Amino acid sequence: MNLRLHIWRQAGPNDTGMLKTYDLANVSEHMSFLEMLDVLNEELIAKGEIPVAFDHDCREGICGTCGMVINGRPHGPLARTTACQLHMRTFKDGDEIYIEPWRAKAFPVLRDLVVDRGSFDRIIQKGGFVSVNTGNAQDGNTIPIGKPDADRAMDAAACIGCGACVAACPNSSAMLFTAAKIGHLASLPQGQAERSSRAMNMVLQMDTEGFGACTNHYECEAACPKGISAEFIAQMNRDFVASALGGKG
Amino acid sequence: MELNSALPGGPIQQRWDKHRAELKLVNPANKRKFSVIVVGTGLAGASASATLAELGYNVQAFTYHDSARRAHSIAAQGGINAAKNYQNDGDSVWRLFYDTVKGGDFRARESNVYRLAQVSVNIIDQCVAQGVPFAREYGGYLSNRSFGGAQVSRTFYAKGQTGQQLLLGAYQALMRQVGLGKVKLHNKQEMMDLIVVDGRARGIVTRDLVTGVVRSHMADAVILATGGYGNVFYLSTNAKACNVTATYRAHKRGALFANPCYTQIHPTCIPQSGDYQSKLTLMSESLRNDGRIWVPKTKGDHRSPDQIPESDRDYYLERKYPSFGNLSPRDIASRAAKEVCDEGRGVGPGGLGVYLDFSDAIRRLGEKAIADRYGNLFEMYERITGENPYKVPMRIYPAVHYTMGGLWVDYNLMSNVPGLFVLGEANFSDHGANRLGASALMQGLADGYFVIPYTIGGYLAQGGLAAVSSEGAEAQQAVKDAEQKIQTLLSIGGKRSPDSFHRELGKIMWDKCGMARNESGLKEALQRIPELREEFWQNLVVPGSGTELNQSLERGLRVADFLEFAELMCFDALQRNESCGGHFREEYQTEDGEALRNDDDYCYVAAWEHTGVGNTPTLHKEPLSFENVKLATRSYK
Amino acid sequence: MKAFGDIWRSNLFQKWLMAITGLFLVLFLLGHLSGNLLVFLGQAHINEYAHGLRTMGHGAVLWGARIGLLTFFILHVASAITLSRRNRQARPQKYARVEARSSTLASRTMLYSGLLLITYVLYHLAHFTWGAVHAQHYAQATFILPSGELVPDVYTMVVKSFSEPLITVLYLLSMVMVGLHLNHAIASAFQTLGVTNRRIVPLVRTIGPALSILIALGFSAVPLAIILGLVKI
Repeated sequence: MNLRLHIWRQAGPNDTGMLKTYDLANVSEHMSFLEMLDVLNEELIAKGEIPVAFDHDCREGICGTCGMVINGRPHGPLARTTACQLHMRTFKDGDEIYIEPWRAKAFPVLRDLVVDRGSFDRIIQKGGFVSVNTGNAQDGNTIPIGKPDADRAMDAAACIGCGACVAACPNSSAMLFTAAKIGHLASLPQGQAERSSRAMNMVLQMDTEGFGACTNHYECEAACPKGISAEFIAQMNRDFVASALGGKG
Repeated sequence: MELNSALPGGPIQQRWDKHRAELKLVNPANKRKFSVIVVGTGLAGASASATLAELGYNVQAFTYHDSARRAHSIAAQGGINAAKNYQNDGDSVWRLFYDTVKGGDFRARESNVYRLAQVSVNIIDQCVAQGVPFAREYGGYLSNRSFGGAQVSRTFYAKGQTGQQLLLGAYQALMRQVGLGKVKLHNKQEMMDLIVVDGRARGIVTRDLVTGVVRSHMADAVILATGGYGNVFYLSTNAKACNVTATYRAHKRGALFANPCYTQIHPTCIPQSGDYQSKLTLMSESLRNDGRIWVPKTKGDHRSPDQIPESDRDYYLERKYPSFGNLSPRDIASRAAKEVCDEGRGVGPGGLGVYLDFSDAIRRLGEKAIADRYGNLFEMYERITGENPYKVPMRIYPAVHYTMGGLWVDYNLMSNVPGLFVLGEANFSDHGANRLGASALMQGLADGYFVIPYTIGGYLAQGGLAAVSSEGAEAQQAVKDAEQKIQTLLSIGGKRSPDSFHRELGKIMWDKCGMARNESGLKEALQRIPELREEFWQNLVVPGSGTELNQSLERGLRVADFLEFAELMCFDALQRNESCGGHFREEYQTEDGEALRNDDDYCYVAAWEHTGVGNTPTLHKEPLSFENVKLATRSYK
Repeated sequence: MKAFGDIWRSNLFQKWLMAITGLFLVLFLLGHLSGNLLVFLGQAHINEYAHGLRTMGHGAVLWGARIGLLTFFILHVASAITLSRRNRQARPQKYARVEARSSTLASRTMLYSGLLLITYVLYHLAHFTWGAVHAQHYAQATFILPSGELVPDVYTMVVKSFSEPLITVLYLLSMVMVGLHLNHAIASAFQTLGVTNRRIVPLVRTIGPALSILIALGFSAVPLAIILGLVKI
């Protein structure tokens, strides 16, 4: 198939950037979206142009490195699919495709489609863990955890930290990302000791990083490649208020 | 060069305890006076960084990713082994040790493997305490599944995302220490070189992938946890950025590289679909618990799978290995697949595939039970191939997955360069010639959580570490070398991209040093690799500059090292005149095509010393002795 | 432990404030609506009700309610402005192309429907409370309750007002705006307060919009009935 691509090009963090148009011929429907970009880049190199920088690594949908807004949707048109797992059979001959980076103040563009997601790490640093030093642990079967709780924790823990939730949110809010970690640990007995302070500190860090507030559009949930439920946001809201009123956070 | 593996003596059950008791300790108040560099933030690197920081050391952690959570450990699907015997099915530390030594085809150190089996139980406890959401039974207790190469259920798992959950556990522990200021984390920094001062590893040179700044970082010890080199084949299940640069640079600075020819070919991957293919995708081996592998009995049978009656199907693993069947170890299952495809019985485009069929399991357990176990894997398969594996059997083919070889280390995980420690897939120590399923996660975390925290103390407590700085001659020279190399790459101004060289190298390696090797092929590779390297330095083109985010440059630098390292692999494969584990030499097989080991002449670790690019490296041998598991032909029949 | 000021300024607390005050405003609307519907019971009922409101506790109750309502209203508007400003700042560079998946017209226009509602409320107060606009309908009419007391005739005032098509159209349009705002607001407030979980999410996401339609229709019923001549003097 032949495609017309409109790709955001930005030489560096301080460059203004603009959409540039490229025509790409003979794209196979079996290619992944990123392989299509690989082919484009090889053509650009052959023509002596600078290839498009984009983040990617595992290319099997789990590392969370890749991310680009494809035709107005983070990771493209398919639900529960990362850009690397999106295949060209989703598109048809003659399609025009807009490719833009994640847009958020807290995710500054480094080059082309590559953004800096260090803000996510700093949110986790504020409490997205259980404070247990190596060697502290008792036997793994000492605390039984019911299957529904374990499964719920796993549902939240499936987050890959890609940032699609922020990219999809009209307010560039990081609520789903943060709620997923809070929800994961709040579902387990291990996470209870620090539950209150965790919710408080992680929530406040989101503001510090410049993420917007949630207006409950649920665009995050719809864009999440791992299908993480906005139910966890409700739980985070609850935990935050409990922390604020309980004075423990 | 004398290889001192620092193995403790005495009964194998007591060696680790005894060794720990004898290791020198660093006083708690003095730990903060020592600084440690950890390169890599995968399972081994993140767990080591977090644990060393908890102990009080000053840690500097480095990753080329934008976040420590992205390392390729995250992609491990199936699970992690531990000798908990929760299932009461006869498992024990001894049995895990035995299975691992045997699975490694008797090419691993007994002492290391026993220690690995011992600490496996602590890993599960630690991860549970961190909140890793392992699968549970309805009663609330931990669930297990069985895995290739084992007859007990000892594999712990978190859906099909065990690696992800374990890595996030280690990552969170690391983030906690970063928040506390005990770890300084350097994202988007790629290691370019090792700095050796007075014979000891004292620092590294890094390139900032965003600004291009090349600089040195100094410390009292350097830990490499930089993963394996499977991407030398270009197509592998590894992530795109996985590379050999860190370990190969250390090798060039004097560290011995052990057993580089031991590469694991994973039997259950999605077959290649075209020339543009950028990587291969693994389907967890756990699928073999319920899927049956088959091909048509006759060559050229192009009927669709549902049209082929039972009587015309060959369930070749069940036929050849009745006691392990579809759960035969990876090397054996992979070779068997290659064999049937070579016979012309392969399925799918190009005939490079075999069926992995779930119809029996779906009939027996129902579609829901199968979806519960493998739902996400089935989804992934459908997304990539456009076929629904609930209806049509999956097509799978072997692909490069893991490398057992790595930098040589002693029992303390220290290389022959004092102060340079190597953890996880980057070292060679525990898996011998073949790794069993669910053992990589176990080894990475064992090294990081439970081995290095003790052994590095033993090294640091010995003292004798002079003050070093980035102003020192060695550091300055290493930085200058790295900058020079970058400038050279940028100024070639040829025609071919880094990827095109990488693809060509990968093809040579897959054809000549892949699933099956022979002398003439390896010799041919040893001729073609230097030629390709020559062309690389004449005809490469890297657009852009060195002072910006430049992904072509990153690739160019990595491919340059692969082009040297590939030669080392072929040398190693050529000298090992036997077949063992992941190394299959066509000249050395039994009449029915099984691997033929030669314990009289090759029961050793091949540790290679660098002697200059293009020169034949020097081989050092560390003999292996088996006192506890009797050397025997590995049989899964 | 965090200082209260830090918590107060946080996005999530501001959202919580907006949700809580918003739900109180919805409760007020429900009360207001039930009062309005007394129009259908006849002149005496509604006039008696209005008189009762004014004189309860010698007027203290009415003033208490007014002050409370005003406080909630100000907090609601203030938090909305704060959050909207921050949300805009969170995405300095817009996308060239956006395809919404789950947001709705209502959810995306909350700020605009809210700002229009402020204008409406001021108009509405100027109309019925202060008598500053359409005053000809307001001050003069009086009514004698069955108890013999002489009180302002709310009924006549309402009927005369909505007999004018322009006023009715203005009010009906405003009620569309109320409906639109509440369509997203009610379910959203429950989510923000964290009282939703897997089981009741579908319930909340149904009841919220349904209630918004009921409220808008209820308020529209009076002017509609009057303009159609079903309610007259």
